[in-house]
Amino acid sequence: MFNIYQPQKAKIISLNTESTDTKLFRLALTDKKNQKEFNFLPGQFVQIGLPGWGECPISFASSPHQSDKYFELAIRKVGQLTGQLSELKKGDLVDIRGPFGNGFDADLFKDKPLVLVGGGCGFVPLRPLIMDYLADKMENTVLQIFYGCKNEDTLLFKKEHASWNRQAELNVILEKPSSKWAGKKGLITDLFKNRVITSNSIAVLVGPPLMYRFVIAELKKRQITDENIYLSLEKKMYCGVGVCQHCAIGPYYVCKDGPVFRWSDIKDINNII
Amino acid sequence: MKNKRVEKLIRDLSADYFVFAPQKLGADLAPGYEYGISEVKDINNIDWSGRVPYGNWKEVLLPHHERLFDLKNGELIKAKANSPLIACLGMNILDLKALTLFEQVFANDVYYQERRRNLLIIGYSTGLPNDYKKNKVFSHNYKEDILEHVVFDIFITSQSNGKIALYSGSEKGQKILEKYGLGDYQHIEFSGPVAESGPDKRMASIAKKMENSFNHPVWDDLNKRCIACSKCTIACPTCFCFDLEDRNDPADKSRSRKWSSCFNSDFTLIAGGQDDLDTVKKKIFFWYFHKFVRIPKEYSLPGCVGCNRCTLACPVGIDINKTIQSLMK
Repeated sequence: MFNIYQPQKAKIISLNTESTDTKLFRLALTDKKNQKEFNFLPGQFVQIGLPGWGECPISFASSPHQSDKYFELAIRKVGQLTGQLSELKKGDLVDIRGPFGNGFDADLFKDKPLVLVGGGCGFVPLRPLIMDYLADKMENTVLQIFYGCKNEDTLLFKKEHASWNRQAELNVILEKPSSKWAGKKGLITDLFKNRVITSNSIAVLVGPPLMYRFVIAELKKRQITDENIYLSLEKKMYCGVGVCQHCAIGPYYVCKDGPVFRWSDIKDINNII
Repeated sequence: MKNKRVEKLIRDLSADYFVFAPQKLGADLAPGYEYGISEVKDINNIDWSGRVPYGNWKEVLLPHHERLFDLKNGELIKAKANSPLIACLGMNILDLKALTLFEQVFANDVYYQERRRNLLIIGYSTGLPNDYKKNKVFSHNYKEDILEHVVFDIFITSQSNGKIALYSGSEKGQKILEKYGLGDYQHIEFSGPVAESGPDKRMASIAKKMENSFNHPVWDDLNKRCIACSKCTIACPTCFCFDLEDRNDPADKSRSRKWSSCFNSDFTLIAGGQDDLDTVKKKIFFWYFHKFVRIPKEYSLPGCVGCNRCTLACPVGIDINKTIQSLMK
């Protein structure tokens, strides 16, 4: 019988420091056949672990279209395990279980304008969608990206911003930038001012719960329906398969039924955001 | 119950199995709390009254602390299964219902399945014991067909005339009964956990009422009384939340599964400080919601078997029956 708790080994094939506390890990399963067959959807996640330190859920930061060769995870040093992970070097091994969760169903986004809204390190799961859009793998009419972050040091994927901005509309705002910052200063909702967002847009939100509250209100002003607002939730998880109960919200499990939810499906759950 | 055939069966089984059964655990325990599940050392100590023992079978089905992996040279190696042959003797209908739910929840769990393979489930009932009637969480239907919807290998009913009736619920049960010369049993084919007439109607109406009830006064009332001690989650035969815990010290290098409780302060706490269940009201709502909404939606089965153990366990006198009554008013 397949052991749902058995992780497999993945090797760090490259490491890139993205910000003061976040590194981008490019990983390949040591079993080459398994890596070749590895497949996932943007928005899905893996349980990454280190024996002796436990596991934690991390969303994919790379496109599924490279998944036969590698996958990427952006890991922010925030707890004990991620602290250990941040010490690792190229060539080191980690444990991987998954992929888990539902991910974004790009078919539902088809032929519509796509609005991606990311806050802080929550921005990571949006990168696969951007990569797929830039590679002409998404059938969206336009792509608008709204990215709010604390300062220049915590801003992720900086090297890619120029290319994103060529094919899509990238809007970045920093809450507490340095004096050198030439861009916008403020909160993510400030980015929506004077921006046209059409009411038939699909909006995908990833960030802290507080951001959801204000961004959803902003999107509602633009007549975007609850059915067309998607958000990805971050919860404590152990099993990854909907048993241990730590990630339960209302009738759903974030690990199994999510982490991506339609706002219309969860908005009545008490204290959801 | 004094029955020579059953006593012989227990003696025969004890050659191969550790036999566990409801027994009085100590003379000094308070009334209502004196019965629990333990290994049978003396056949005369087995409690055949049919009452629901305060202790439950969860420890046998899902150990409090279970080693999943040994950590060797940086690798997690599946821990050797420690699954002794155990005969679970005298499981009442409510506990069989809890077991039947576990069978769904842990269907894909290799550790549960390996352990389960070595368990022999022997249910027992005294017919329609008065004990059950006072538990009104669900309208239990104690007609014969209840046995078609719970999991067991052998079922024994003791009747008022002192006689017993034997049932088999699996091939394993049949083989054992035949082997030990108890051929006069009736076989009951398990026809799934949900009755043909559909999921329990009271379960559905409670779920509907509870789903969006967070602002109902009943939760504010419980919020004032509940001290989040988590005793109910330990006493409950269906509470199965768990944590995974890594140990990496010279004495123990392992990844284990441990019972958890949604009343624990870190149950939903994530690195960075966000905590969904940051008030007692949210915790207690989460606990009820799991039993009365989430489990029914997921498995079409009640998450509460109506055993009343949580009510007995609660140090501040929260009664699950009264909670449901208040909610349904």
